[in-house]
Amino acid sequence: MATYQYLIDYFNESPLLIKLAWGVSSALSVAIVILTLYLKLIRATLRKRDAESAKFRKDYEATLIEYLYSGSENGTINDLQLTIIEKLKASVPIKSKRKIIISILYNLMNEVSGEMSDSIQTLYYKTGLYDYALARLKNKNWYIIAKGIGELTRFKIEEAHDLVEPFIMHPRHEVRKETQLYMVNMFRFKGLTFLDDLKAPLSEWAQVQLLETLQKFDDQQICDIKPWLKSKNETVVLFALKLAKIYNQFEVKDTLIELLSHPIKEVRVSVIEALTSLYGIEAKEMLKANFNELSLEEQISFFGLLEKLVVPSDEPFIEKHLFHKNFEIQLLALKILKSINLDKFMGLSKSPKSKGSKRIIKFVNNI
Amino acid sequence: MNKKKIVLAEDNSTLSLLLKFRLEKEGYELLMAQDGREALEVIEKETPDLILTDIMMPFVSGLEVISHIRLKLDLDTPIIVFSSAGQEEMVIKAFNLGANDFMGKPFSPNELIIRVKRLLS
Repeated sequence: MATYQYLIDYFNESPLLIKLAWGVSSALSVAIVILTLYLKLIRATLRKRDAESAKFRKDYEATLIEYLYSGSENGTINDLQLTIIEKLKASVPIKSKRKIIISILYNLMNEVSGEMSDSIQTLYYKTGLYDYALARLKNKNWYIIAKGIGELTRFKIEEAHDLVEPFIMHPRHEVRKETQLYMVNMFRFKGLTFLDDLKAPLSEWAQVQLLETLQKFDDQQICDIKPWLKSKNETVVLFALKLAKIYNQFEVKDTLIELLSHPIKEVRVSVIEALTSLYGIEAKEMLKANFNELSLEEQISFFGLLEKLVVPSDEPFIEKHLFHKNFEIQLLALKILKSINLDKFMGLSKSPKSKGSKRIIKFVNNI
Repeated sequence: MNKKKIVLAEDNSTLSLLLKFRLEKEGYELLMAQDGREALEVIEKETPDLILTDIMMPFVSGLEVISHIRLKLDLDTPIIVFSSAGQEEMVIKAFNLGANDFMGKPFSPNELIIRVKRLLS
């Protein structure tokens, strides 16, 4: 009691600063105790939730397998399957359970093919998950819409086409990208029709994803890419050029030659690269005649084209650029000369003109 | 009659369960492993008649599992590997290490049964 009284007196007689320090220390100590208890409670809740999720996942997996193996041979849904659907349907309205169901279905859909994959898709419809995905499309938040479209893509829901298509013009590029991927995943090359009137730029990453998706399919029958090569959207033109290269679109060679005078340099460079892989020999003389008017990048690309399509009559042109001020052009010119006239190339090292290029000649000689 | 033992090393629990159900229905005894480490323990303990393994698994990959079986344990148990798109190089490595067959995901469980039966016949 005396000690307690002593502490009170000590506190009362202390200066204001000390009193304040004691007050703050006490408040912090209480806060630490409360927060520790709160943390323990959160951990316990999370562990409980995790255990519940794991149990639900296990139960759901077993029910799913039962559903998949109880199917009849003619593909119709039998009574046992209907009972399972009703049982699963009850869990769908709960967000956390819905998330688990979607992840299980998606993981399995990625691993199995044929009838089983179709059964999973049927289950997606019948349990009402499809309706939840459609409801996401009506959400005012762009990220919910993007997630909804992504889900419809993963479950290969072609029926949602009319509802998804309008998002191709969405102001957020994330939503546009998901929509583009949906279109291509569902309808392959036919899904690329959105390029016809795409005003927004198509990012390099989006282009890579679209090309990767297209290459997954067995049916590689490409549609007419000419309208996209003539698009006012330069990114669409660049994408069409990639398609021309990958899918060997020899029939668009004339359009590519017209594009050599495109106002954007990046396009012109890509056109030369596309013509290189399509053996665009017709463009060679044209580019040779205008060589000095070309930008440096175009000149380098043109030498890349020459490396592939060179004929002996190109020798004078090559010789003219053997000592070009640009290293890449010089290297390509030397390589080309070596391939068409080895004697002349070997004689270069003795020429007084090549004094400053000895090392590069030696390098090309060793290739 | 003794059931033939098959070790299934697969980290996708739903797929494991699906294949277990299907293979058990065909009369095989399934020994499950969720990762490569667990698979090696089961293989060393049980000496199975066939091994089904995914290429990408936690802790020890499918390639390491094949290498361990062929080089360390010196077993010639048939091995079927599961691979996903884009893992073509891994499949070649798996064959070089001694895998007998492969199945690209997504695959049909019925097709797997045919291959299992062929290898165990």
